[in-house]
Amino acid sequence: MAGLLTGYRRGDGRWGIRNHVLVLPAHTAANLAAERITDGLPGAVSVAHQWEAQPDDPDHERISATLAGFAANPNVFATVLITIQESDQEVARRATVRGGVVHVVAMASHRGTAGTVAAARPLVERLVQEAGRQPREPMPISGLVLGLECGGSDALSGITANPALGVASDLLIAAGGSSILAETPELIGAEHLLAARAVSPEVGRRVIEVITGFEEMIRELGVDVRNAQPTPGNQAGGLTTIEEKSLGAAKKGGDSPVVGVLDFASPPAGRGLYIMDTPGHDIEQMVGMVAGGANLAAFTTGRGTPTGCAIVPVVKISTNTAIFDRLVGDIDLDAGRILDGLESLESMGGVIYERLLAVAAGELTSSEGRGNREFAISRTVSPMTAFSG
Amino acid sequence: MAALRGYRRADGRLGARNHILVLPSVVCADQTATLIGSEPGTVAVVHQHGCGQVGDDVEHTEKAFLGFATNPNVGGAVVVSLGCETIQGRRLANRIAERGQRLEFAGIQLMGGTANTVDRGREAVGRLREQLARDSLEEGGVGELVLGISVDAPNDLATGLARLAVAAGAAVVVAVPGRLGAAWPDAAQVGDGQRAGAGLSVIEDAGEGAEQHVALAVAGAQVIVSLRGPGRPPQGFATGPVVAVAGDSAIFAALADDFDLDAAATSPEELWQLVVETFNGRLTASEERGARDFVLRRLARTM
Repeated sequence: MAGLLTGYRRGDGRWGIRNHVLVLPAHTAANLAAERITDGLPGAVSVAHQWEAQPDDPDHERISATLAGFAANPNVFATVLITIQESDQEVARRATVRGGVVHVVAMASHRGTAGTVAAARPLVERLVQEAGRQPREPMPISGLVLGLECGGSDALSGITANPALGVASDLLIAAGGSSILAETPELIGAEHLLAARAVSPEVGRRVIEVITGFEEMIRELGVDVRNAQPTPGNQAGGLTTIEEKSLGAAKKGGDSPVVGVLDFASPPAGRGLYIMDTPGHDIEQMVGMVAGGANLAAFTTGRGTPTGCAIVPVVKISTNTAIFDRLVGDIDLDAGRILDGLESLESMGGVIYERLLAVAAGELTSSEGRGNREFAISRTVSPMTAFSG
Repeated sequence: MAALRGYRRADGRLGARNHILVLPSVVCADQTATLIGSEPGTVAVVHQHGCGQVGDDVEHTEKAFLGFATNPNVGGAVVVSLGCETIQGRRLANRIAERGQRLEFAGIQLMGGTANTVDRGREAVGRLREQLARDSLEEGGVGELVLGISVDAPNDLATGLARLAVAAGAAVVVAVPGRLGAAWPDAAQVGDGQRAGAGLSVIEDAGEGAEQHVALAVAGAQVIVSLRGPGRPPQGFATGPVVAVAGDSAIFAALADDFDLDAAATSPEELWQLVVETFNGRLTASEERGARDFVLRRLARTM
């Protein structure tokens, strides 16, 4: 199986398993133009967001890094960045540093939306043709960076899908690949277990620091996080506390050593299991991991979710068979088979691993088939009222 | 002769447009809502909210969804829910219906995944479309207009337009990013999620740009005039006309197709005339190009 893996070699040595042309608005006022440019054009995809790109936005750095990392993801053949002014080069510059290929089209040079669409469309069509001509080449498994995610968890998440995904993640890492475990609020209560697996005392300290830091931030805000973590769906699914959710969520990372802790949207420097500091929000987390360079994702769910990502294939795994059967065509694999004795954790982990490799080699996931491209900008502060503590 | 022609709503208000809104209660339902909203005559919004939210931000978001979906420009709404989200879609839908809106509900976990939910959602749109087809334009007075004005800071055009509109009998609500300061000392304050009353009122801390459009729609505005400062690009709004006025001639020239007017070359009188024409069916630049911006101000970080 491993010998069959193919992908797209990027100039900086990274590997893509898809070859998308991404049309990315640099400002929320460019959303419509980006969408129109990609309308009815297979091979090109756009996302929409709500950022006004104000230089004095306290989250400017985080959001700029997110957009740049997304544009530079190795599954992207080239990005066409739609800016307001020609001088808006920041995201393009950062994406280029991160290994991306970026073309900028400024709306101000084309009198607005219609002119921008007319100007960018031929460019995007040409890029799609060029992407189509790039051959898939034999690719080492070390080129895979797997984002691990759970959403709409239930009481079975920590028993079936998450530990089975942990087995798959361990297999990937043993074969030379990398995984990213994220969702900081969903690691609260599991920090000591993860820190004990750190490759160095320094990494262990970072694990504790990031997770307890999030917990302290919540406490300082004085807000009630019930219904945010765990969510109403988590509670209906039998999860009563965030600690309970965390102990299950952390199992997605298997038993591999933790080699590093990543800031939101930052790329891993080496190989192995990383922890990224992200919110628990499914889409903000996914965007963070993808902006950090994840080219493949696995998403376990107890309540069921249809979401995907514009540029990265997402393999969704149900924790129970009822939800797999109920959400017709939205879920890729059913780890509920473990409960029925049809699979063991180890064999289910093997099934997940094989599916991940097949998807990496080109097989489409359910959300790719449906064109899911949910996107969210993660903020740490509200634009106008930064929390004073 | 009547000043305005619009759609009479169950609560007596007059709508300038008759949109069918497809509203996801959570980002996870965006694609399903988009597929449902691809039917003609509907507008599906895409947003990133509804889950992992805490504190005042939850209530603020729910109020925004509620006011947005019950703005008089919306003739019917389909709420599309995932099922496990923080802002529970079913509860939101019930609250929208309680306010007299024509309301349909589609739940992804409830109805069995994307494909089934899209089928059921499109049927729901069909039912709403049949009801909307029976709506006819009715005559109304200027007193039924709620004019929303979006500004970075108080400016002469905004002051002049507000004075003309109030003198004509319209309600005017101005959204400002922070505190109002000394301008408009007589203006009433509109609280988060509340509707504007007669005369002049102000929404403070309404965010910037397109965030203000949501706040103004929640307050009941049928027509919005954007009077932002220099260099700001024009933005539209999902369920209503935005008359976008460029803050300086350079940005107007650069993005002329997406603006309606240049602040340097217009007057409060011309703007007021355009507001009435816009209410009565004249399409703004953002409507012509099909902008469906929905940018919601957030009060707290996501968990």
